[in-house]
Amino acid sequence: MTIDTTLDGFVHPALFYRSDDEYLAALVPFVSDGVAAGQPVAVAVPGPRLSVLRAALSGVADRVTMIDMAEAGRNPGRIIAGVLRRFADEHPGTHVRIIGEPIWPGRTADEYPACAQHEALINAAFTGRDLTIVCPYDVVGLDPHVVADARVTHPLVWEADSRYPSDDYAPERVIAHYNQPLDGRADAVAMTVTEVNQITEARRFTTAHARALGLAEERVADLELIATELVTNSLIHATGSCVLRLWRHGDHLVCEVRDAGHLSDPLAGRRPAPGDQPFGRGLLLVNELADLVRAHTTPTGTTLRALLRLVR
Amino acid sequence: MCWWYSDAAEFRLRAREFLVDGLAAGQRVRYVGSAPEAVLTRELDGVTELAEALRDGTAQVRSLAEAYPGGSVVDPDEQVAVYARATEEAVADGFTGFRVAADATALVRAPDQLAAFLRYEHLIDRYMSENPMSAMCGYDRSELGDPAVAQLACLHPQTNVRLAGFRLHAASDRTVALAGELDMTNRSLLDSALDRVDLAADGGEMVVDAPELAFIDHACLLRLAGYAERRGVALVLRTDWPGASRMAQVLGLSRVRVERAA
Repeated sequence: MTIDTTLDGFVHPALFYRSDDEYLAALVPFVSDGVAAGQPVAVAVPGPRLSVLRAALSGVADRVTMIDMAEAGRNPGRIIAGVLRRFADEHPGTHVRIIGEPIWPGRTADEYPACAQHEALINAAFTGRDLTIVCPYDVVGLDPHVVADARVTHPLVWEADSRYPSDDYAPERVIAHYNQPLDGRADAVAMTVTEVNQITEARRFTTAHARALGLAEERVADLELIATELVTNSLIHATGSCVLRLWRHGDHLVCEVRDAGHLSDPLAGRRPAPGDQPFGRGLLLVNELADLVRAHTTPTGTTLRALLRLVR
Repeated sequence: MCWWYSDAAEFRLRAREFLVDGLAAGQRVRYVGSAPEAVLTRELDGVTELAEALRDGTAQVRSLAEAYPGGSVVDPDEQVAVYARATEEAVADGFTGFRVAADATALVRAPDQLAAFLRYEHLIDRYMSENPMSAMCGYDRSELGDPAVAQLACLHPQTNVRLAGFRLHAASDRTVALAGELDMTNRSLLDSALDRVDLAADGGEMVVDAPELAFIDHACLLRLAGYAERRGVALVLRTDWPGASRMAQVLGLSRVRVERAA
């Protein structure tokens, strides 16, 4: 295998690995070459993968930023702003190397559509930047359709014995494909919010039902912010009223806001906070606070769902 | 505190109680209203403690009509100076402090009157937080629209209306106290309240003491932070509501420090 030490511009490969050996054979040189070249390197992978890499990187581990993706990236909607841009923006003027593994075999069916859309949106988010984000895929543990999606969301594929451009690369297709209708729930409690002066009442409605549904007290403030920002966003951007709904879904509390607006910017809530305006961080905040955010948007209506874990 | 009444008799009742409490605490008390002083004196009739106090000068009445001709705009600094002198005189005369009950409706009817009065409210609030003076302002709710009521109410530490949803007022040690809930409902009211209070910033920090803050959304937190920023200082928000520190952290607000409330 040739080691590419001349990464330049924006490089976004999917790395397909079949074993720890293949994982390390590709990633250890990626990290150590970057360190040797004086480039900033971050490794954002789920905990068990982090252990494997850390052991193999013993010589340079202290010069690499290690992030547990299962924690920092639990909600894939916050990875671009909270993990990738945060690290890249701290190191302007040089090529940055990041290993980002947002998809692993434990990802649930609820999480996966948001994960795939996140992978697709990395391309638009980093066009023109000088960094490499290599995304490892455990092709033994993951479903074949996940691996097929990775070929659509990544312009390059790295395998153990070859590196090649992906013929299937078309990230907007994955964004559209996973923009799936989110079905209503009969057991949800609902409140219609028409006016700004109902926001406070909507927040009280949310916390009262969330406590009844078992949300831990330490997450109540997060949910107060999530519900308030979602409803506020709807009242600002959509015409007419919005409907706030809450229910329990497995081990999660779901807080949903449905309105007649259109979320036309797929990167909304995924860019780091703009420095100069005293608003416009509502969706970013929701992405940071929720354990998962799902969205469905069309020109005639948008549904945003924030999920919070009920059990630790 | 501020008291909203729909019935003047109700306010007179509250004012008399407030003044009698002051007498019991050893304070000199003053009753202020729009009517001539003879009428104001009669409004205090029937309360033994007040009748005695009026005779020996422990209780006083002052007419707004005499101090302020109709439509007058309060001079905020001058009015604070008037009450500061009255407080100092009361203390010099052996009283524990000075207490005023005033029907201020006549001073806030027009927009320019209201703007000046709001500024005065903050200055007298600051004075009272550091000196032995207390006051109860009455307003006739039927004469003033909700926007004016909300603008007045949010600047008072204690009030009997919840229209504003939050309170921003002077506190001890040159800090400002913030309480209640802040979201898009009252964002513009927060902006105008911040303009009125013109908070002092000492030692490179603006300290907002908020043990009773129950909620603040990101836009309102950024309003507070921007207010501090424009004065070249950092914002210190003292609150136990956990959402504030979460926001400061995840939004990377480097000029905002959230501390536990004292």
